[in-house]
Amino acid sequence: MAQITLDIFRFDEATDTVPHRDKVAVNVPPTTTVLDALEAAKAEVDGSISFRRSCRSAICGSCSMNINGVTGLACKTPCNTVMDENGVVSVDPMPNFQPMKDLVVHMDPFWDKYTRLKPYLQPKDKDSDHERERRVDPEDMKKLVQVANCVMCATCYALCPVVSVDPSFAGPAAIAYAYRFIEDVRDDQRGERIAQISDDYLWLCAHCYACSYCPKHVDPHDRIVDVKRAAIKDRVMMNERGPRHALVVNKTIRQTGMLQETEVIQGTVGRFNITGLIKVAPLGLRLASRGKLPPIFMKPIPKVDEIGIIFDALEVPVS
Amino acid sequence: MTTTLLPEERAIDSHRKSHSAQTRRYGFFPGCVAKESCKELFNSTMLLAEKIGIELIELTAASCCGASVVNDTNRDVARVLNARTYAQAEALGLDDVITICSTCTGHMRAANKELLESEERLAHANGILGKFGAKYNGSVMVRHLLWLLIDDIGLDNLKKMVVRPLNGLKVAPFYGCHIIRPESVNGWESARQPHSLEDLITAIGGEPVDYAGKTRCCGFHIQLEKDGIAPAMVGQNMRMAKDNGAEAVITPCPLCHLALDGYQADSAARWGRTDLPTFHLPQLVAFALGVPADTLGLNKHIIDPRGALVARELIS
Ligand code: SF4
Ligand code: SF4
Ligand code: FES
Repeated sequence: MAQITLDIFRFDEATDTVPHRDKVAVNVPPTTTVLDALEAAKAEVDGSISFRRSCRSAICGSCSMNINGVTGLACKTPCNTVMDENGVVSVDPMPNFQPMKDLVVHMDPFWDKYTRLKPYLQPKDKDSDHERERRVDPEDMKKLVQVANCVMCATCYALCPVVSVDPSFAGPAAIAYAYRFIEDVRDDQRGERIAQISDDYLWLCAHCYACSYCPKHVDPHDRIVDVKRAAIKDRVMMNERGPRHALVVNKTIRQTGMLQETEVIQGTVGRFNITGLIKVAPLGLRLASRGKLPPIFMKPIPKVDEIGIIFDALEVPVS
Repeated sequence: MTTTLLPEERAIDSHRKSHSAQTRRYGFFPGCVAKESCKELFNSTMLLAEKIGIELIELTAASCCGASVVNDTNRDVARVLNARTYAQAEALGLDDVITICSTCTGHMRAANKELLESEERLAHANGILGKFGAKYNGSVMVRHLLWLLIDDIGLDNLKKMVVRPLNGLKVAPFYGCHIIRPESVNGWESARQPHSLEDLITAIGGEPVDYAGKTRCCGFHIQLEKDGIAPAMVGQNMRMAKDNGAEAVITPCPLCHLALDGYQADSAARWGRTDLPTFHLPQLVAFALGVPADTLGLNKHIIDPRGALVARELIS
């Protein structure tokens, strides 16, 4: 049998101040999953190696970790797809989380954001008013199926670059799960839910698609865009920078065909928000010192009226 | 000369040899930023095109690609705006639209994919374009200049054209998100382990610097949403590049360029000074191919990249 060497991040918050690494060799076939290789290491070599797992089949969402620097489910990753030429697989705890013991991390920030959603149905009427479960048209359920596949593994949260610099951002999974309730026809808290998730920085998603590596193909990014559209449609918290930004971009494209940078900055931060403008001013001054400040007025593109026709036909909001 | 293609003849993949590639005449979509605050990108692209013997025909009536923001308010608008742009390319007999921005690449390819994968969506877009007499037949593919350089010119040929090799300049590639992710839209190379920029850096005589930040987000799209966020993301990435020995950065995206070039001064408090100059992709390639340095707009950068070139005795 082939030998796999696991290069494991070791740390115990109860006793250690700095982490170290252990190399543990196990005799398992190369097609073994990283999780089963870890199980073998724990059973045969060192019983103190700690990691989370339950289902071993990509259902429970417990075993996400960094495998050769790539975040994913250990039970879904065969060693031979990641090991180097010497059969070494390095495993580390998920980034964006505080390590607790070895590959186990403190999940609290992730669960906090999930709990804040009130992740249960809040219908208008009581369950007891119904003789049987509420019936939902299959068409209405279709769009919820994909997000309902989320197993809360936090892979997306660990990959999100915004979470890494600002832990107050709800993160991809929580916003995708908010969508699951916002678009549920049985739920009666749509407005409150959109406001809550807007408050948890819905608009801070940078569109980077790092969360597109969700092991359950939930595509959190696309659901985030759906929630933003719902916020605009229902006109929830429209005075925040996110919605203002989106609408002023639309406005400048409609007027000139182009995204007009100067107008977008003023429209987003607020034309009369002097403190806000001063805060974004340093970059402006730096640009100005190189003679490359974007123009204040822009010549519209040729045939700009065609953009108006498109916007009208699609009823694109500009304010 | 536009013809309607059957669905199976349409190729959204970037590997098809386009008619444009054969004639070396391409549709050119510079995008808003290369026309506004990064004019040096536009100019150096044109100089590079001349040097490598291709003709970039600017689609002057094209609109903004939608820049990831318009999608936030309406699910159809980016698709139809870009269909209008593709119709303009087709009307000029061009079937290959070249971009010089990662965000344009990703969003224009996504729009094209949506159009070409569904007769219904294409018909919907054409229903609106028809109001002003335009029609998109589905023959266009969208590529970044980076891919053109590697696929149509070739790294070996580029290498032969180099007259001013970079003398081992340590360059950190910064891809930006939308030229690699999502892979279902771009798919030109692995988004987790891309190497096109590394290959290009090597071809022009530089030494690529590896660091985890190269495929991470620069924060540009949320710079206005909350103060301090974009500088933090820039600082995090540039710290990694600097710690791994980078002397300069190269990026295929002017939005990344603006963030990296503009925010390192703000990120210093949290991440320490990095001061890495950031070249636009065509600037550094054109420089290696012998385009005079003083025509490339290097003086337009906030962190002056000429220092890095002087240090390697590439300019005096
Ligand atoms: S969205 Fe995907 S990656 Fe994120 S927690 Fe759910 S299953 Fe995991
Ligand atoms: S697309 Fe948005 S939510 Fe997803 S990883 Fe990027 S910033 Fe985070
Ligand atoms: S052990 Fe359940 S998802 Fe991996």
